[in-house]
Amino acid sequence: MTRRRLDDIDRQIVARLSEDARISNRQIATDLGVTEGTVRARVKRMEEERQIRITAVTNIDRFRNGALAYIWIEVERSHQVQAVARALSAIGELGFVGEMLGRSDLLAITMVRSNEHLAEFVHQRISSIPGVRRTESTLGVNFVKHDYRMARIVS
Amino acid sequence: MERVSQIELDETDHAIIALLRADGRLPFRSIARELGLTEATVRSRVRRLEESRTMRVVAVTDIEAAGFGMLLAIGVQVESRSPEEVARELAAVPEVFSVNVVVGAQDIEILMVAEDQVALHRLLHERIAAMPGVRRLTPALAVNVLKNQPDWVPFDRGASA
Repeated sequence: MTRRRLDDIDRQIVARLSEDARISNRQIATDLGVTEGTVRARVKRMEEERQIRITAVTNIDRFRNGALAYIWIEVERSHQVQAVARALSAIGELGFVGEMLGRSDLLAITMVRSNEHLAEFVHQRISSIPGVRRTESTLGVNFVKHDYRMARIVS
Repeated sequence: MERVSQIELDETDHAIIALLRADGRLPFRSIARELGLTEATVRSRVRRLEESRTMRVVAVTDIEAAGFGMLLAIGVQVESRSPEEVARELAAVPEVFSVNVVVGAQDIEILMVAEDQVALHRLLHERIAAMPGVRRLTPALAVNVLKNQPDWVPFDRGASA
């Protein structure tokens, strides 16, 4: 699936929306010297084509003792990767699920309260998925950077 | 990093956040109608959530639409330098969009994008592998991302790169 790339005007609009997406189309139009209709049509198109998603993000510092956990998952047989990936996607607590090449077959990322919470989550929710052979988890101790402007927009 | 003022969130705040998560440009009057509140209440609640640095409404760009064809998760092992220092240096690379100091077999986990294989090769070997303290990189290439909706981010350690 190849997605159309953003042009210069798209990028300038997105740059404004990345700072504060509640800004009005009129304000963006004034700042960029284009018509309000241009801004409205482009934002609509970018959303419809899933080039951008306008959404609320919440501050991880609001969650006391919250830490990111990277869970690497290996399957029994390679043909099970897609089925396991679909099962993982259905788990609400996971913020990222990807089929990977190299280190392991799948990567899932979630937020946990502690090492114990991570162990319990992996044991109860992931190891029990048919086809999962083994998992390896790493627990974040310092979330140094996350650029919320970048993601793979899936749905 | 600024300190986050801890405001108490009630059900109404959570309901407003949930609606804005689904559609960040939903008008205040639609939120008000949906939740049976006045538009003024919604407006002041949203302002409080923003001012307390609890929530922000932003545009997220698809990495492919932004021109990046490759997404990788890379484990970084560090020697003779603190992982925190190496992590801060990694965070200064714009293509490295997520950096976590971790405990386990790796010292740091990063998520990184690249335009194509040539750009990836240059980034990995000329920039990241060459950083003082970086001992080994263990990369994995994402070939299919089924889900990517982190709604938790550190506010002060993001878009500055």
